[in-house]
Amino acid sequence: MPVPSHHIVATPPPFGAPPYPADIFAGQTVLVTGGGSGMGLAMAKAFAQGGAQVAVMGRSLDRAQEGAAQIAALGVRVHAMSCDVRLPEAVAAAFDEAEEALGPIGLLANNAGANFPVLAENISANAWGAVTRIAIDGTFLCSAEFARRRIARGEGGAIVVNSAQYIWTGFPGDAHSAAAKTAQATMTKKLAADWAPHGIRVNAVAAGFFPHEASVSGRREEGVEPLQNMIPAGRTGSIWEFGWLSAMTCTPLFGAMTGQVIVQDGGESLRRSLIMPDFVPPRERAEGPWGWQ
Amino acid sequence: MTGWLTGKRARIEGDSPAIRAAIQAAGAALVAGGDCDIWVHVAPPTAVKPAHELTHAEWRASLDTGLDRRFLGARDFADACRARGQGGAILFVGAPGQALGADQAAAAGALGNLTKTLGVEWARDGIRVNSILTRETGDTLGHLAAYLVSDYAAYVTGAVMGIALDD
Repeated sequence: MPVPSHHIVATPPPFGAPPYPADIFAGQTVLVTGGGSGMGLAMAKAFAQGGAQVAVMGRSLDRAQEGAAQIAALGVRVHAMSCDVRLPEAVAAAFDEAEEALGPIGLLANNAGANFPVLAENISANAWGAVTRIAIDGTFLCSAEFARRRIARGEGGAIVVNSAQYIWTGFPGDAHSAAAKTAQATMTKKLAADWAPHGIRVNAVAAGFFPHEASVSGRREEGVEPLQNMIPAGRTGSIWEFGWLSAMTCTPLFGAMTGQVIVQDGGESLRRSLIMPDFVPPRERAEGPWGWQ
Repeated sequence: MTGWLTGKRARIEGDSPAIRAAIQAAGAALVAGGDCDIWVHVAPPTAVKPAHELTHAEWRASLDTGLDRRFLGARDFADACRARGQGGAILFVGAPGQALGADQAAAAGALGNLTKTLGVEWARDGIRVNSILTRETGDTLGHLAAYLVSDYAAYVTGAVMGIALDD
C-alpha cells in the first residue's frame, strides 16, 4: 500500500547539502571497513564531504576500488585495499598500508558485515562464524588496532560503528545478525569507557532500513517502493542521511559525545500494538524468514 | 550548523544556554508563543535526596516538570502542528535516570518510553519526538539538540540518547 496522501513524511536535505562544512575533517584520514558499497560507501562519502581522505577496506579489492572511485569523485584522496577483518595480522597490515598511502588514520568507521535471512536451525557453523565474527571480531580488531596507534601517537580520535535497529528486540529470521549487531552496540559503550582517557570517542548508529543496490532487502522485483508504508516515518531511509549521522558523531560538533548508540530507523523498531496480525513462526512464513524474502 | 534550521520557529521551554545558542546559530527564530515548528522542553536538575527523605510534594514537583508538563506541552504542540497541516519536531532534554534521585529515575524512565510511543503515534503527522538524557550542558548538547530538531534528523524519531559515558 502506498503511503496515504494526507500523511506527512519528513524528508532530509539532498545529498549535495551535508550538515557540516566541507573542511570539517580536513587533514584527517578515515578508514572505512566494508566501504566499497552500501552503507559503508555512504559513510565513506559522508566523511569525504567533510574533507577527509578515505581508506576503503573490503573483502573484495574490486568492490573497494569501485567504491573508492566514487569517493574520489568528491574531490578527496582515497586508497582501496582488501582485508579480512577477522584476522588480526591482516588488519594490522591493512592499517600499515592505509597509513603509508594516506598518513595516520584518525577516524574509523566499522561497517563490515554480512547478513541474509535464514532460519536459526539452518545456520551452518560457517555461516554463523562469518556473520558474527565479521561484525564482532572485526569491530573489535579494527577498533583496537586503531586505538593502539592513536595512543602510541598521543592523539585522540573517533570511531563510529554501524549497528542495527533490531538490537534491543531480537530479529526472528536473522539470529546471527541479531547477536552480532547487539555485540557491536554493547562493546561500543565499553570501548568508549576504555579509551576515554586517551581522547578516543566511540559511538554507534543503530540503523534502520536504508535500501541500496547491495542490500539483500533491496533485491525484490517490485523494488522498495511498496515497503515505504511499513515504516512509521512513511519511508525507508535515504542512505546519505545514515552516512551523515555516522560522520557527524566523529566531528567536533559532537565532540563530547561518546559511548552512545543512536537509533536512526524512522520508528521501525517501535512499531507495536496490543492486537497484531496472527503470529507466524519464521519457518512457516510463505515468503521466507523475513516475511518477504 | 549554518542553515540547519533556516526559516524554522523554535520555542524553548526551560533553560539551556547551549541549546538556545545552537538553535539560534542554526538559523531558527526563537518564539515565546504562537505558531512554531520546534518545541524543546528542558527540565532543570532536581535535588539529589535519598528516596525516603523526599516529600510527596517534592516528588510530585519533579514528576510535574520531568514528565507531566512534557506530555501536555507535546500534546498541545502536536495539536497545533496538525491544525496547520505541518510537521514538527519535539525534543525533551533532562538528566539521565540514575543521575539524581528516585523522582528523576521515575520521570526519565517514563519520559523515555513516552518518547518512543509519541514518536510512532505522531510519525505520520510528520512530527518527530526525541530525548536527550544527559548531565552535559556544553556545546555538544546544543549541537545535538539543533541536529535532532532539524531536517537532517528526518529519520530519527522515538530515539533516546545521552552524550557522556555515564549518561
